[in-house]
Amino acid sequence: MNPDHHSSLNPSSSLKSRFTKTFLRSLIKINKQRPFPYCPREIFQRCHRVKTAADKSLARAAGSRRVWSRAMLCKIRNRSLRRGCQQRPSVRRIIIGYQTTKKGYCLQKKMSDDQEVGTDQASKLRKLVPGGEAMDLCSLLDEAAHYIKCLNTQVQVMRRIADIHSS
Amino acid sequence: MEKEKLFLNEGANSTAAVPIWNPCSFGMEMQSNKLNCCSDQLPNCFFNPNWDSSMDQSDPFASALSSIVSSPVTTSNAIPSSGGVGDPVMIRELIGRLGNICNSGETSYINNNSSTNTSCYSTPLNSPPKLNISIMDSQIMGNLPILGNGIPDHPSLAPFLADPGFAERAARYSCFGSRNLASNESELSHRLMPRLEPGKLQRVSSNPSEKATGPQANVNVDGNSNSDKKFSRLSRSSTPENAEFGDSRDESSVSEQIPGGKLSMKGLNDSNSRKRKAITKGKAKETPSSSLSASDSKVVAEMDESKAKRSKSKEINGDEKDSTKVNEEENSNQKQNKDNSKPPEPLKDYIHVRARRGQATDSHSLAERVRREKISERMKFLQDLVPGCNKVTGKAVMLDEIINYVQSLQRQVEFLSMKLATVNPRMDISMEALLSKDPLSFPYGYRSQQGIALPNGMFSNGETQFSTNPLNAVLKRNQCMQLPALDGFGDAPRQVSTFWEDDLQSVVQMGFGQNQLQQPQAFHADSNMPGAQMKVEL
Repeated sequence: MNPDHHSSLNPSSSLKSRFTKTFLRSLIKINKQRPFPYCPREIFQRCHRVKTAADKSLARAAGSRRVWSRAMLCKIRNRSLRRGCQQRPSVRRIIIGYQTTKKGYCLQKKMSDDQEVGTDQASKLRKLVPGGEAMDLCSLLDEAAHYIKCLNTQVQVMRRIADIHSS
Repeated sequence: MEKEKLFLNEGANSTAAVPIWNPCSFGMEMQSNKLNCCSDQLPNCFFNPNWDSSMDQSDPFASALSSIVSSPVTTSNAIPSSGGVGDPVMIRELIGRLGNICNSGETSYINNNSSTNTSCYSTPLNSPPKLNISIMDSQIMGNLPILGNGIPDHPSLAPFLADPGFAERAARYSCFGSRNLASNESELSHRLMPRLEPGKLQRVSSNPSEKATGPQANVNVDGNSNSDKKFSRLSRSSTPENAEFGDSRDESSVSEQIPGGKLSMKGLNDSNSRKRKAITKGKAKETPSSSLSASDSKVVAEMDESKAKRSKSKEINGDEKDSTKVNEEENSNQKQNKDNSKPPEPLKDYIHVRARRGQATDSHSLAERVRREKISERMKFLQDLVPGCNKVTGKAVMLDEIINYVQSLQRQVEFLSMKLATVNPRMDISMEALLSKDPLSFPYGYRSQQGIALPNGMFSNGETQFSTNPLNAVLKRNQCMQLPALDGFGDAPRQVSTFWEDDLQSVVQMGFGQNQLQQPQAFHADSNMPGAQMKVEL
């Protein structure tokens, strides 16, 4: 997306501003595309779309240097592809395969050795952080820290938007 | 005492200070080159703690030294009395430092006055002590002015300076010092003079020509007392400490060669590991390291085993800090001059890890230690990110908190997206206004995470079972379900439910207030909403 490209060149733009711009744009698009939902199913669909848009814009704002942002974008793309082309499972497999090999199978071996801090906790964290399955504990903590930071930003911005619209 | 004062006084002159603390190599070279001065006597007087006996033997040398010192001496008679008192102490300090510089082979020389130990002096020229010498140069240069202030004129040292070979060596050692000074000065100075503050030294050295006896005397006495204390330990434990130092240095160098063999000077922020790294680096640079490592490999292997056993038995007990301290207590005689409270600072790159004293030096333990340090560093960072984790200690609890926090944040995002999904499309105008304005500096704290979590949970559960009255049904079902999950946040369920109702009200109002939806009556009836405009207190 253009705004992300420009913002990546501009060092003064923060994660917050990048995320806000992208998210607002996608919100406007969502609101324009569909009629306002009156039934719960539509509300649910819309909510899901908004959430996807929020995650996508957050991942884009975070940049592709982070494993979790890449993993999140891959997941979203997979989901949309899965929905879009269910007649072509090969495409999905290719994408999923790329996702797993990208993380490195060699790390899987390390994972089994490095479970010194509590297997269940580390595995829980892996499930929470996107792309956390194929990371060793060290980088998992690293990614988790950055992910928490970005989640905080996301929540702040969304809250603010919601408040503005609710007032 | 003349000889002491000779050398002490030379410290006043920085250029002349170089050879003073380098008597081991210099003296040996003098012997080999058969200089004019009484070189045979010179090492004796330097390294023999028994000043009196050496002084008796080397009267001609004393006169030679006095001749040398006379020229550079500027403040010769600054503190005759205090200098006389403090000189033996300072000299002992010098001896200790020089003993440190010269390797284990020289400890025997220190105890013997025989001139047959010249061979042991050949090593410092080619071995890491050279680096030590250069590094200690700065410290001794700093120290010498202290000593030099109490020295009367000693012209006998003039021949030292006149020696052209000496000038060469001085240049060489000074360049060594300058090269390694910046990065290693702090560590070595800290290690070898734990009680002496460099600030003190520099304060004194900055005024080498100060003639005031009072303040200088005080400073000298303080420095001397500190150095004396430390140095007494040095002299007592010089033999085992030097032996240990040499061996451990070798073993750690070999162990470092095992993982990568790469030595580099960047990232030298670890107080303990980098000390050895610098020394070994110098060793690798200037020494035919193959010969040394080959000869010491056996010793290293033994030391590795013994240390590995010791450290492994200790490391099982728990924290590596604890094991470090336990091992240090074990090797107390070897660690008298080291800082016992080495903070395990995390290294930036595992390649640069050096074995700490008394710890296992095999590559696996090293890598493990580095990994653990990395993880603890990251846990600390996460502690700052996650609110309310300051009191928490321990990885398990910390991880639990982190997991809870991430879950709550994700739930908040879901809830907010649901909220935004029900936003009136009429507000697109305000959205575009928002885009242009970009108002993002709102101080929204993480105060009411529990307030959000409940409706989030509600919605997430409700998504799966959406019926005609989804919110209603979920409301009833989840009124109590999510409350236990919020215990971790330490808030009363009462408050949570109040928040929850407020949020619900706001959502409903947002979604229904401006659009006439068919369902609001049902909601109103069930959730007991007052008609007042309530803003969500987030």
